[in-house]
Amino acid sequence: MSELDALRAQLRATEERLRAAEMRAAIVEREAELQQRQALSLSARLSTILSISAALLIGRDVDAIVQRVVAEAVGLFPGTMAAHLYLLDPDHEVLSLRAVAGGGPPTCAGLARMATLAPRAMLLVGPELELALAELADSDQEALRAALPDWPPTSALLTPLRVESQRLGALVLYGGISAHLYHPRDIPFVQALADLTAVAIDEITQRARAAALQRDLQITRSLHAETQARLSSAQAQLLQSAKLAAVGELSASIAHEINNPLYAARNSLYLVEQDLPPDAPQRPYLAIAQQELSRIARIITRMRDFYRPTRAELAPTNINTLLRETLELVQTHLRHGHITTSTVLDPDLPPIVAHADQLRQVFLNIILNACDAMPGGGELRVVTRLLRSPAAVSIVIQDTGIGIAPEHRPHLFEPFYTTKAQGTGLGLAISAHIVTQHGGSIDLESEPGRGTAFTILLPVEEERGSEG
Amino acid sequence: MPPWQIHVVDEDPVAALITQRALQAMLGEAYHVLADPTPDTAWLACANNSVDLLIVDPGPRASSTLALMRVVRSFRPGLPILVLTAYDSPGLRARMRELGIERYFAKPLDLRDLLPTIAATLSASTPKSPGGASLLTMSLSA
Repeated sequence: MSELDALRAQLRATEERLRAAEMRAAIVEREAELQQRQALSLSARLSTILSISAALLIGRDVDAIVQRVVAEAVGLFPGTMAAHLYLLDPDHEVLSLRAVAGGGPPTCAGLARMATLAPRAMLLVGPELELALAELADSDQEALRAALPDWPPTSALLTPLRVESQRLGALVLYGGISAHLYHPRDIPFVQALADLTAVAIDEITQRARAAALQRDLQITRSLHAETQARLSSAQAQLLQSAKLAAVGELSASIAHEINNPLYAARNSLYLVEQDLPPDAPQRPYLAIAQQELSRIARIITRMRDFYRPTRAELAPTNINTLLRETLELVQTHLRHGHITTSTVLDPDLPPIVAHADQLRQVFLNIILNACDAMPGGGELRVVTRLLRSPAAVSIVIQDTGIGIAPEHRPHLFEPFYTTKAQGTGLGLAISAHIVTQHGGSIDLESEPGRGTAFTILLPVEEERGSEG
Repeated sequence: MPPWQIHVVDEDPVAALITQRALQAMLGEAYHVLADPTPDTAWLACANNSVDLLIVDPGPRASSTLALMRVVRSFRPGLPILVLTAYDSPGLRARMRELGIERYFAKPLDLRDLLPTIAATLSASTPKSPGGASLLTMSLSA
């Protein structure tokens, strides 16, 4: 009997072990199924992330990218009732909603500000989520409640959009189904999605900025080339004018020296004529001599007037405008030479009757000389003012250059006198010539090592015609 | 009535001679045209108040002629000055305007063209005596 009882007890024990083993097997089987489902879910998520990654990296439009991200986020994280993507305006630190999936667009940032400030993605559930929602302003809470399909959300995934230390915005996912509460294993995925989004947006922004810079560079190059061409043209014109002026100076000089002998010869004939009887046979020849001397006088006058501006070329001219135009012309030249400019232009200057192109050449010549005198950079100062007695416009062009040695100063305005290796020696001669032709004067003060100041005086009153 | 006294100052002696001779021939005995050998002698005549019209050529190197014009403008402001120059330029015209010179002619003109201006200038005045009282003594080098 006891043996039978012992066998029965052994059988029961064996049955108990069998049931326990079956239960363990069932648990293991369920765990295996769970692991398999998780593995499949993980694989699906990775696959989705990869396809998003490929799509984002070829995207060219920020709006298209953010719309795609919120749409994919809803599928990627089951239980999501709404996805909101905000971008930060870098100038104003303002978050603006750029894409919504699920529910309506909220009129507030909701939890996005918190997400923007977070270092990495974060999961809010239970009391943490309640606290975060409670910290929102009442109006914001109301706005969020109106935008979400269900209230309150059961969990939330918050992630900043960042590239290195630069904050671009935030992605906020609100969970609405209790059976699918977000899980901590969702965090790396939402972080990966946010990082991909941030990189894609940043790349588009950088590309747009690079394109804008490229456009600016092209415009700057074009302006530079244009200015350089204008300056080269003005310099060529200056040289040509200088050559003409040198010829003009020579012509005027010859004309002046001939005037007195011609004048004497011409009027001597009058005295000879007075002593001749009316029917003297020499009279026709005397008349021829007088006519020919008059002809020489006309030729001499034309020679004297060579390169002198004719009345038709003179017009009321604003000296300040001329100076501004000239400075604009050499702007690039000055910038490359590290020369700063300052101007004090008297706004009450009256217009003066002048040959604008010639005066522009004078200013250009003196300013370029000033640049040459400041090889290591310096300051160029241009000042105009009105002098009352006699009425004249004073123009001072001053540099902080190497100055002019005293031995050179008496010869500076002489033609072909130069201290430069490449100089023609005509620049200041022509400048002085032009200023003199306008009835003005030009002078300079210079201190070696400190700089030079040219002062030009131009009479204000209108040029009168010659009586002679 | 004594003749009008016209003094000519020109550093070019030939030009000065021709101006004097031709003007004298053209103007006749009612005028006495003199060529001053130097600006100093011209100033002496002006200071003696015996000049009715001064004709000068302020050449490019004639600083003493310019000094004569300045001193005449200061001490004999009523004495008319006529510029007759071989060195006409806008710069010279401007300087002459600054000195208040209104009669300005450029050589090589025919002196007959000068006669209306001379007549108009002197018509408003009475001729001065060539031996007028010495009212001023001043050197041009001052």
